[in-house]
Amino acid sequence: MNARFAGIGAWLHARAENLLAAMLAVMFTVFILQIFFRYVVNFPVGWTHEISVIMWLWMVLFGTAFVVRDNEEIRFDILYSAVSDRWRRVLVVASAVMLIVLFGISLPAVIDYVMFMKVEKTAYLKIRFDWLYSIYAIFAVATIVRQFWLGYQAIWGKGTEEYDPTKVSSGV
Amino acid sequence: QDKPVLRFSAVFSEQDIRAEMMGLFSGQIADDFTLEPYYGGNLFKQGTELVALQRGNLEMGNIAPQDISNQIPAWSVLTSAYLFRDAAHLRTFFDSEVGAEFKQMAEDQLGVHILGPTYFGARQVGLRIDKEIKTPADMAGIKLRMPGGDAWQFLGTSLGANPTPMAYAEVYTGLQTGAIDGQDNPLPNVENMKFYEVMKQIVLTSHLVGYDLLVISSEKFNAMTPEQQEKLQAAATVAIDFSQQAHLDREAELLVRFESAGLKVYEPDIEAFRTYAQQMYLDSELAKDWPEGVVDKINAL
Amino acid sequence: MTLSLAFTLALGLIIVLSVFGLPMGLSMICASVLYLLMRGQDMGIVAEQFLNGMYSNYIMLAVPLFILAAEIMNSGTLSERLLRWCDAVVGRFRGGLAQVNVLQSIVFAGMSGSAVADAAGSGKMMQHMMTQDGKYTPSYAAALTAVTAVIGPIIPPSIPMVLYALIADTSIGYLFLGGVVPGLLMAGVMMVQVAVTARVKNFPVEKPVPLRELPKMTWHALPVLFMPVVLMYGIYGGITTPTEAAAVAAFYALIVSVVVYRSVRFPDLYEALLTSAKTTASIGMLIAGALVFNYVVTVENIPHSLSGVLLAWDLNPITFLICVNILLLVLGCVLEGTTILLVIVPVLIPTAQALGIDPVHFGVVVVVNIMLGLITPPYGLLLFIMTRISGAPMKAIVADVMPFLFGLILALIIFTFVPDVVLWLPKMFGYGTSAL
Ligand code: NA
Ligand code: NA
Repeated sequence: MNARFAGIGAWLHARAENLLAAMLAVMFTVFILQIFFRYVVNFPVGWTHEISVIMWLWMVLFGTAFVVRDNEEIRFDILYSAVSDRWRRVLVVASAVMLIVLFGISLPAVIDYVMFMKVEKTAYLKIRFDWLYSIYAIFAVATIVRQFWLGYQAIWGKGTEEYDPTKVSSGV
Repeated sequence: QDKPVLRFSAVFSEQDIRAEMMGLFSGQIADDFTLEPYYGGNLFKQGTELVALQRGNLEMGNIAPQDISNQIPAWSVLTSAYLFRDAAHLRTFFDSEVGAEFKQMAEDQLGVHILGPTYFGARQVGLRIDKEIKTPADMAGIKLRMPGGDAWQFLGTSLGANPTPMAYAEVYTGLQTGAIDGQDNPLPNVENMKFYEVMKQIVLTSHLVGYDLLVISSEKFNAMTPEQQEKLQAAATVAIDFSQQAHLDREAELLVRFESAGLKVYEPDIEAFRTYAQQMYLDSELAKDWPEGVVDKINAL
Repeated sequence: MTLSLAFTLALGLIIVLSVFGLPMGLSMICASVLYLLMRGQDMGIVAEQFLNGMYSNYIMLAVPLFILAAEIMNSGTLSERLLRWCDAVVGRFRGGLAQVNVLQSIVFAGMSGSAVADAAGSGKMMQHMMTQDGKYTPSYAAALTAVTAVIGPIIPPSIPMVLYALIADTSIGYLFLGGVVPGLLMAGVMMVQVAVTARVKNFPVEKPVPLRELPKMTWHALPVLFMPVVLMYGIYGGITTPTEAAAVAAFYALIVSVVVYRSVRFPDLYEALLTSAKTTASIGMLIAGALVFNYVVTVENIPHSLSGVLLAWDLNPITFLICVNILLLVLGCVLEGTTILLVIVPVLIPTAQALGIDPVHFGVVVVVNIMLGLITPPYGLLLFIMTRISGAPMKAIVADVMPFLFGLILALIIFTFVPDVVLWLPKMFGYGTSAL
């Protein structure tokens, strides 16, 4: 039973990875098109701007919600990586509880904002902003679920993941 | 005893003439209200102030008419080329009966009360190339940077140019290196952003009277006593008058300064531009949303 | 300057949550929610600031694209070919491989905007070349790779400079130019230090690559060596904006890897895309968290209040810059670079402006400080990476980094006090020469 769930989970994670990589590929491609149209064809286009910004926004929220693992995120872990496994579990539970409470309290207001944005459309492709911004609501819910899972693992599950600095890429 | 706070957010900087305008405004209403101004788009980003007002996160703003037309398509007529002749015509319009209709639309559909238009200069074409521009035909093939979005890009098309979207922050280097041939901004912006350093000429097309709208949320406004409302409106009018005159003076002064700095400054065949642009707008999709005969009514004011 | 209770608690929450190991971006979002809650304001503002902030900052798109460019270079054999060419050029001198390490970083810096990418890309091979047959100690090789990687984002292009341009509203083009001389100066300092150490410690001399083979090797490496030229010509020759140049970098690296060297196939490309997208998500989350918390900082009017306090102390620009250097170097020991850049630096900018410090000069000084933070213990990303790659203990690597660190701080002092070291090149390209 557990193995089957793990199998489905791994399959979904791989598809999420495909999607995330595709978003970057799209951003890259439209950038090249944009330069090509302006410089080579002298026919500047603007919709490329819009697509690349949308890809950027979705990559960050979708990626954080479904693809990037916790030990790949940028965090301050001098204490976290120095303490014993037992204490690490305590830290994880404490921060998970705080995040769940604060994300939970703000969730109705967040969804309200996203839905309110139906009054506006993007400048070129005329996409309604409530659709475009719905990824934030999805991210908020996914983050709450993930923290529940992390807290559960910390209390009943196996030990927390070891810190791996080579996996963290801050871009600098 | 705590006076009600009016949070105000705008994209212009603290050094802008319009920040002075807000100072003048807040001084006059200081007995009843505390104005809490945020400049430079630090609180809300450009174009997001309207929703912030609608959601009650802001009491006052300086909103671009383009942002209003995003939610009320009929308003797009007020952002079309060669509609207003100058700042005075703009003010006349907002005080007129047609103007009142448009203000009412904003009141009804957006819940914002318009205190008046804040003029910030007529948009002029500035080019890094030498070619003399007389008519829209001369603009053919010129990569003219316009703000992003269909509506702005169409404005560029209506001048006969090849509109190019580019982030405002990148325009200077774009002009310097030739990624674009020109930009269209009011002269005070050209000075602020130092575009004149990398331009050869200014074509005085005056194709769009640049203005924003000083607004307050209807909810806040309607909660005031009639005396407070009157006082607020009077304060706004005084401040707007000051800012408008200051901008007109500045434009005149900058024309001389740019010319003495070696830029070619001249007026093209304005009538040719006006005819071409107005026709393009009337034939466009945008015009379908415009109230019947509104352009003629405004022309007649 | 008094802080409100809500703001104090929010600040406290960021510290608690991040010390507990929650990602920084999420910590800042949580703190902002707490602040809005206590102030009785619309908590939807968290989403509003996140979404509109990310949607409106077009120039930030350079970040994912520069990351992608570096990934493609590393997954193709570009980094490797570059190393071999450097070996042919400077390998013949005493301590040759150490000089190769420096030269490689200079050229790589001209194509990549990230120090982490340089270390991760060239680290493994450099480590192998330097330590085989016991030529250099593993810790010295690792220390040198970490130190030389620092110049990656100082010589253009540069991801930290893109981020700085974003928060300080300065021209990316001029910032990039401002980094050229300081970056070369720092590399020069390293080369001198390596040369001196080579004599003192009698570093090995490599079997020189015959000079007559140099033209052929240069020809083979030409597409790589040409890349910085393509990028700079793109930006300063009017073809691309600095943001678009990031895409050109990735495109060029892809073409060279696929068509010229035939070293990248689809699975490699997919890996490069995925890794870059994941990095993008994690750095983007941090940027967004900072944007959201910036709303709180703005409402509380922190930068202006701080600027008021500092100006009341009657600091002169030099004293202020010295204080900034010390503050950033100390913070660099415990905090991650992007966090310092996005959270601490924005608070300092109004004061720098009020003191009349040139924004490009300030930007370069700030970025150099942040890069030095990557090699200062206990928290230094480059130290972590090289510990992992080399297997040498971090303590030993740190000991070998120290002399270089002093050399680099010396260089930092020079261009803190002599702004023209930074501003000379931008001025050549027309920066700040107002005609009116
Ligand atoms: Na190196
Ligand atoms: Na670089």
